[in-house]
Amino acid sequence: MIERRGWRVRALHLWLPLGGFLLVGLAPFYWMAITSLKPNAELYNTRIMPLIVYHPTLKHYVDLLTETSFLTWTWNTTVVAVASTAISLVLGSMLAYPLARMRFAGAGLMAATVAATYLVPQPFLFIPLADIINNLGLSNTLTSVILTYPTMLIPFCAWLLIGYFKTVPRELEEAARIDGASRYQTMLRVILPLCVPGFISAGIFAFTLSQNEFLYALIFLTKTDVRTVPVGAIAELIRGDVFYWGQLMAAALLGSLPVAFLYSFFVEHYVAGLTAGSVKA
Amino acid sequence: MATATSTAVAVARRPPALGDAIGRWLDREAVFSWLMMALPLVFLFALVGYPFVYGVWLSLEDRPVAQPGVFVGLGNFIADAHDPVFWQVARNTFIYTGVATVLKMVGGLALALVINQSFRAKNLVRAALLLPFIVPTVLSTVAWMWILDPAFSVLNWILVHAGMARPGPSWLGNPSLAMASIIVINTWRGLPFYAITILAGLQTIPLDLYEAATIDGAGSWARFRHITLPLLKPVILIVTVFSIIFTFADFQLVYVLTHGGPANATQLFATYAFDIAMTGGQLGRGASVALAMLPILGLMIIALTAYMRRRE
Amino acid sequence: MRLSRQSSTSASRRTFLKTAAAGAAASLVGVPRGHAAAKSLTLLHESSFIKNYDAYFAKTLAPAYEKLTGVKVNYELASVGSLQTRVTTIAETGRGADLTLNFFNWPFLYDEKYLDVSDIAEAVGKQQGGWYDAAKEAVVVNGKWKAIPFGNTGQLMNWRTDWFKEVGFEKFPDTWDELLEAGTKLKAKGHPFGFELGHGFGDNHGWIYPLLWSYGGHEVEPDGKTIVLDSDETARAVDFARKFFQQTMLEDVLGWTDVSNNKAWLSEQISCTNNAESILYVAKRDFPEIGKVTDQAMNPKGPKGRFHLLNSWSHSIFTSTPDHEAAKAFLRWLCDKPQLSAWYASAETYYQPFLHGYDDAPMWKVEPRNLPYRDALATAHLPGWPAPVSRAQSEVIAKYVVIDMFAKACAGASTKDVIASAVTQLKQIYGQG
Repeated sequence: MIERRGWRVRALHLWLPLGGFLLVGLAPFYWMAITSLKPNAELYNTRIMPLIVYHPTLKHYVDLLTETSFLTWTWNTTVVAVASTAISLVLGSMLAYPLARMRFAGAGLMAATVAATYLVPQPFLFIPLADIINNLGLSNTLTSVILTYPTMLIPFCAWLLIGYFKTVPRELEEAARIDGASRYQTMLRVILPLCVPGFISAGIFAFTLSQNEFLYALIFLTKTDVRTVPVGAIAELIRGDVFYWGQLMAAALLGSLPVAFLYSFFVEHYVAGLTAGSVKA
Repeated sequence: MATATSTAVAVARRPPALGDAIGRWLDREAVFSWLMMALPLVFLFALVGYPFVYGVWLSLEDRPVAQPGVFVGLGNFIADAHDPVFWQVARNTFIYTGVATVLKMVGGLALALVINQSFRAKNLVRAALLLPFIVPTVLSTVAWMWILDPAFSVLNWILVHAGMARPGPSWLGNPSLAMASIIVINTWRGLPFYAITILAGLQTIPLDLYEAATIDGAGSWARFRHITLPLLKPVILIVTVFSIIFTFADFQLVYVLTHGGPANATQLFATYAFDIAMTGGQLGRGASVALAMLPILGLMIIALTAYMRRRE
Repeated sequence: MRLSRQSSTSASRRTFLKTAAAGAAASLVGVPRGHAAAKSLTLLHESSFIKNYDAYFAKTLAPAYEKLTGVKVNYELASVGSLQTRVTTIAETGRGADLTLNFFNWPFLYDEKYLDVSDIAEAVGKQQGGWYDAAKEAVVVNGKWKAIPFGNTGQLMNWRTDWFKEVGFEKFPDTWDELLEAGTKLKAKGHPFGFELGHGFGDNHGWIYPLLWSYGGHEVEPDGKTIVLDSDETARAVDFARKFFQQTMLEDVLGWTDVSNNKAWLSEQISCTNNAESILYVAKRDFPEIGKVTDQAMNPKGPKGRFHLLNSWSHSIFTSTPDHEAAKAFLRWLCDKPQLSAWYASAETYYQPFLHGYDDAPMWKVEPRNLPYRDALATAHLPGWPAPVSRAQSEVIAKYVVIDMFAKACAGASTKDVIASAVTQLKQIYGQG
């Protein structure tokens, strides 16, 4: 904003509300942290102050990393997320580019069709998909989820990239074509490189959704060594009606803090990517 | 003769001409576009279109697990219509989606306005605010189980010590509070996504628009109403559409937290369909419940889009 | 500490195994196995609450069978809650494990994909003291045994002996009314009860169905068609449940899932609940002070008797397995006394055997507080009893019809309304409405 502001006004407009949002947003993480450090005896004690850890222990983290397949799940989750993101970005671009920069018959219809596929909800698709995946012999393989996750990611990536592709000025494209480049070469060498921030923001979104996905993983991945973190944690850090709370919370933190840290480097690009993408939609 | 030579010349010239012709053909807008879109369209057709049709077929069958299906036409849907729980589930999902979306929209906008300002550690703070969105939902929900346990909840502790209640509200046992709880958790989880997306939109609004308005004497509220909001509409619309689709089909939160309890107060379409299909072994009936989501979802999106477009 | 017996007798046991297995295999498989015999078999199981139980199979039983017959046995573990998904997959596609564990009424759900194992059942029953009636409820489909019953994971009353003593109860109350009295006093002292009324999968069924039955209420007649839920008996059960909830329990129980009462017990919030052996097991291991004052008892009696929930575990063979005879031979060997008794023992009575031959097994002496689980077998039934097993019951369970009927009443709805609503759902499920 333009006017100069005293510190009181700044507190009211920035620090207070920001503090409020941070408090509400991060309070559960504080709880996760202290639960992951509390020995079981302390965890269940209602008489002591629950918001402090009196005898912190790293036992839950150690158990999680050594006695469970958490590292395997993390590896699987990363592989699946990277692969799904890559597929979604590639296929999303292939959809977005013509819709953004070309004029041709049927464009509107195609755009509507792609949007419509997004409307088909996962809780409906999982039943027929389970059958299909089983019959293809892909159950309990990472391929099953790598193939199915992009179905929920491609439409959003495409929408985002459409907005970004539209912002590249026509002059650049015309200049390239005058120099003799084909549309394909123009796309690859001129337009796409200018849209890297768009790919970053779409990629971040796709990556986050992939590593958070639960339903398909629950149905397709039932063996421990192919599971992803969400399914592995819920299925195996719980035995019957006994939850291993400390390990679950440790898994939550180990599964999210590194990713958030990485994001902090890309957030600038994420916002910039959405900037170009969204308003021009 | 001239024709013979010209023919010979024509023959000699053909191969490069053919390559050129193919190249030119490929460069035509329509051809290029369709070729580009071919692979993704095939992918979506195979993994969404075909299962969708298959799923619709399932919903028209009486299809118990491990048994062949028997066509029953609209039998499943009629049975669903007679199922009182089905209607409760529909109401729940509607309320859950509606309230959570409004909260996320308003909250997201507010947060976006706040973090649009410049301050130190901006990127770190923005990433930290994204944490609820990043952490796997099922795991954060497990944390919320403790946060909402009357014996451990900070809120209950405050209320009890202020003398207002003993032992304090049951966040997951009372049907209304349970619905409120899942709405709160969903909002907590989804608000950052709204905020970051709207933030992007905010940053594209040219500053000179605000300058001009200020010179004309517009106060900050007027500036917000007449400049910020209208220009943000497309962003808000898009992110709301995506948010509605996700929230309407939400599964993880309820599956872990209450599994639909107390007495179906938090049962949603997704969890209900899952129970019927997987625990009850009725794949056709389960598909019919899940399919019921589609028309409602479609109508909501169309209505929202029309409303927003009209107001422009 | 409980398994030390095995190492000392393992040598003699191994010889016994050999002769027994050879005998069993020979008796079943008269034909010399010259044709392509199975090289390996896979048994699908769910991850057990007792790690030793799984370890015993993987490290002792499987290698023993391989040494005996040359057939490698794989032990495939599905994590808790995903077994049904796996079984469904195998049943639908015909590919996967050869044998599997079943819960509840799955032998009925998947019956067309399971082999008829009546011969094995008969032999095992004869050898080991005869089957409990409860065992047959879930596995006999159209007169044929489609699974061999294994054990029950019972649900019983867990109670705090110290707090009950404070209000004058040295023994666990015998009837529901006495339990109500105890609970009212205990709640007044800050030690309420916590019986699950939410959408879990075990701790709610464990007391609600027995409560209904103990008042004489039934969902469907033994003919499997006539819906009789709307009766005075049911109304009385519902009214009692409402009073029981209001006078003794935390409001939170309405939204509890299975983990909640364990949590509440270990944080000392409740004095009585219905649960499997997991509370006592964890208490003894991690919270010895609480473990000392935790005891287990049979469900209270109602006007029409005392009942318990049957949580039947059984083993079946998929028809899709390439070598039927090999699979049957393995199952017969597994259910033979030496193997079976040792496998039961490795789980410390967490799975209560369905064979009368084990009524006095040494494993019951290890923790006397687990004895009620054995005694409960005689009065245990599947949800849906007295109607025979059917797919409709699976849908009733999946939709929580009976549970919600009680839960809504406890939350304040009128008895008439909740029963009517439940009957509407039953009619729709049984195809009558």
